[in-house]
Amino acid sequence: MAQDAAGAVGARLSPQVDSLIRAAQRGDQDAFEQLVRTYDQSVLRLAMNLLRSPEDARDVYQEAFLRVYRNLHAFRFDCSFHTWLYRIVTNICLDQLRKRKVRKEESSVVETTDGSIDRMDAFEEEAAEADPERSLWNRQLKSRIEGALQDLTPRERMVFELRHYQGLRLRNIGEMLGTTEEAAKNCLFRATQKMRSVLGDFV
Amino acid sequence: MNCDSVSKLIPLYFYGELTPDEEDRVEDHLHACAECTAALSRQRAIAAALNEREEEVPVLLLEDCRMDLMAAIQGGAPRLEKTSKSPWKLFLEAMGSTFSSLNRLQRPVGAVALIALGFMASRFTAGTPSSANLVPNSSPSDDVIATVRSVRPDSSGRVQIAFDETRRRTVSGAMEDQNIQKLLLTAAHEENPAVRVESMGLLKERTGSAEVRDELLNAVVHDANVGVRLEALKGLKPLMADAAVRKSLYQVLKNDENPAVRMQVVDLLVSHRDDSMVSVLQDVVQKEDNNYIRLKLEKALKDMNASIGTF
Repeated sequence: MAQDAAGAVGARLSPQVDSLIRAAQRGDQDAFEQLVRTYDQSVLRLAMNLLRSPEDARDVYQEAFLRVYRNLHAFRFDCSFHTWLYRIVTNICLDQLRKRKVRKEESSVVETTDGSIDRMDAFEEEAAEADPERSLWNRQLKSRIEGALQDLTPRERMVFELRHYQGLRLRNIGEMLGTTEEAAKNCLFRATQKMRSVLGDFV
Repeated sequence: MNCDSVSKLIPLYFYGELTPDEEDRVEDHLHACAECTAALSRQRAIAAALNEREEEVPVLLLEDCRMDLMAAIQGGAPRLEKTSKSPWKLFLEAMGSTFSSLNRLQRPVGAVALIALGFMASRFTAGTPSSANLVPNSSPSDDVIATVRSVRPDSSGRVQIAFDETRRRTVSGAMEDQNIQKLLLTAAHEENPAVRVESMGLLKERTGSAEVRDELLNAVVHDANVGVRLEALKGLKPLMADAAVRKSLYQVLKNDENPAVRMQVVDLLVSHRDDSMVSVLQDVVQKEDNNYIRLKLEKALKDMNASIGTF
């Protein structure tokens, strides 16, 4: 499980982060840039993992940090900067996920005679797998995983992403998403139930 | 606790989200129940499968995002230099012709290099008509790419075909292996930019050798592909005390057309300040047309108590 990163970094560097924020609030561009660099890798990773598209992830990055830039003066230190930033980022990502659900946008999964496969992984599969049976099994598993993730509601997907891949605690996740820890727990439970029902016979 | 209530808590137990009291009760139950223990194993297996799909962030994408953002903030423009292509785009284009996926490039290669290289040509020419040299009924195997050079039917109804074959060989070894390093240095000159990027990525971890240093410098100054130049630049970071390296970077700062490259060069130069840089920076700052880089240069000069203009 991926243990993150930004949460831990944010907590560990809190006094430094605070002074960067204060300097950036006074208009110090270098401080703002350093602040961005402290968190931007995990923001981009979150967006990439959720949206599976470098272009969309790039848009999320740009929009999120521009909002931070424009609204940093209003940050009052009443929660951690990490939580505040992730409120912005998760909102933008949730909007994207909802739009995708509505549009049923063409996903990266394509149908083939072997079932559906992920375009992003196709080359790697061909190159890495010499064993055709194993390769087929892997493709099917990946396809199931993608399908299971796409079946989650945007909110379930987000909670799962933040807990499983970003390693954040449900209490923080609730805070970021403007909900309770209990509601985040329920979301995680529903998400894992759905995964189990789709992937159960594969593992 | 019964199986029904434990099965609901298994995901939260797995993610460490239960209270200590709940955790104890789940563990007590698991010790006595094979079915729930199997459910926990399934949960672990699903999590392991999900870990496999995690996306890694391509370094160039991150750099590109940073540049876009800073450009938007400095100039109010949504994108840096709309007329020119970003490094990420250029990189994608360079890769596009070779790979159907970028995923492979996002993987850390680690200490083991797998390089497919090698050329073995065997040619059957009209000058060697002996049937011993011919391979009747043979067909190129799957890993052989053949180019047919000539086809000659003879009077007996047989056919003589001359073809070149390129055979792929895969070797693997640790980065310390001299042969692997030699192959990486060769790969740094391959036509395919993706191979060059990957070899730079590995070579940059071996900057102790003069040969590697020269190769990195050569790529930074001469490589036509932005991705390769950026990757090679990263390898120069520990070598900034070397005057020859700094001198080469002055040239890159003056001449490289790509702002991402120039920006990275400024960062490297600033990380190891010396007085000889002042005149170079003063010269460059006058000509630099990228707002963000110009601001960085001005700040560097200010930090060195130097004026922005030359007199």
